[in-house]
Amino acid sequence: MIADRIIEQGTLTTQDGRTAVEVRIPWYRALPGSCIAGAALTVDGVAAAEDSLRWTMNNRTFSFEELVDETGEWWFPLDSAVLSGDLPVRDGQVEHEVRVDLKLYIPYIITDHGVLHIEEHDTKTMKVAQR
Amino acid sequence: MTSLGTPIQGVTLYSFTRAFHARQYDLDGLIRKVAAEGFGPGLEVIGFSSLRGFPDRIDDTFVGQFRDLVAEVDLVPTSLAVNVDTGIRRDRLMNHDELVEYMRKQIEVAARLGFPIARVQISLTPDAMESLLPVAEKYGVTLALEVHADQHGAHERVLALRDRYEKLDSPLLGFTADWGATVTGFAPSLLEAYRRRGASEDLLRQVVELWDGFYAEGPPNNQKVHGERFGAFIGLAARNGRPDLGIDFGINGTGLFGPAPLDTWLEIMPWVRHVHGKFFGIDENGEEPSVPVRGLVRQLVENGYSGAISSEYEGWHWNNWQDPFEIIRGEQAVQRSAAANAGSAMITEASEARRILRSHLAQPVRG
Repeated sequence: MIADRIIEQGTLTTQDGRTAVEVRIPWYRALPGSCIAGAALTVDGVAAAEDSLRWTMNNRTFSFEELVDETGEWWFPLDSAVLSGDLPVRDGQVEHEVRVDLKLYIPYIITDHGVLHIEEHDTKTMKVAQR
Repeated sequence: MTSLGTPIQGVTLYSFTRAFHARQYDLDGLIRKVAAEGFGPGLEVIGFSSLRGFPDRIDDTFVGQFRDLVAEVDLVPTSLAVNVDTGIRRDRLMNHDELVEYMRKQIEVAARLGFPIARVQISLTPDAMESLLPVAEKYGVTLALEVHADQHGAHERVLALRDRYEKLDSPLLGFTADWGATVTGFAPSLLEAYRRRGASEDLLRQVVELWDGFYAEGPPNNQKVHGERFGAFIGLAARNGRPDLGIDFGINGTGLFGPAPLDTWLEIMPWVRHVHGKFFGIDENGEEPSVPVRGLVRQLVENGYSGAISSEYEGWHWNNWQDPFEIIRGEQAVQRSAAANAGSAMITEASEARRILRSHLAQPVRG
């Protein structure tokens, strides 16, 4: 699919120990929150704590636990969502290696092993964006 | 004797997924591009891909703008591809009533936007299709269930649907024939993509041999055989030290390149209401090397098919080095040439396409 575009170049931000990056859907069609089954945010090899991760789309912010039942809010193919988590990152003119892992359910493909899920990841190098 | 068909040329915006996703074109811009390039007159759209807020938040303002634009650029809406998202909840699959309502909302949007066909998907059982028939009748929308690799026109699931259609005897229930079910070779452009990911020539030769073996054996008629073939691709990748490519080989080798013979379409031909002209690339000779486009168009023409063929380019998954618009131009030229060779022609003029589509389908859409 379109995994090479998951991380939007130049969108890494950090403030008071929380770090965020904009992400694009690696799939051709919109998916609801309930099908966004998990994500990991790693900067320079350090992963944000899982329970600190938050997902923002359509101006609403969710924990991944809240996304499980969210069938009303959808991630549209043209939109960036924001993945954020507790992760201190040094600001300034330093290049960081940013990695995002995503697990998505594909709700119309039901296999013998349940609803198909795909796991996609992307790694890009960038500085913290200047605000 | 059946008179020769006159298929309507068209395209699905799915072919341009990479350009749309990259924000090179918004929906309006892409529709204008399709019209300007002469890829129509038929226009197919995937609701969940192209329409923000589909299906719950499609307001009358958007509907009006969409219809005005399509009229302005003189395209003909053919099919709105809708999705059977049975697995949308994490705790269980949708129940029957939820499914019918989920599909109803999408079919209603198809009617409001002026699409006479809703493309539905294989997870709908004969019982589910029967339950959706009143919805189809309410909106005047034909439900054309997509027959797509790894299945095909003679697959047990498809035959069960056909038999129910025959019993229900409604012109609003039919099929979308996707050419990916009847492919004759592993797409060379995908082999090139694997080569660029460092796959050896020896491994690629084995991938082709494995697929050719399945082609010689014939298509899977049930899910068990399908699963075994998927596993064979994974095993091949692992034995060659590239386990990272195994699932990709399996998904593409079984899910995109269906090895069914062309004549399997004859099992369901009277119920084919729409066609996905699925293809993966055009070679240096201007031909599609792995989809028998010429044979498929001839078969449709000779069987009197006068619905739309949406050119559906799927090589975009892996081919990021060629222009999809140029590739579509090449494939549609092959289709037109094939229709002429079969003694007929593709319809490329919008008013004629509207007239022919109306007579091909049972009743006008009520949107």
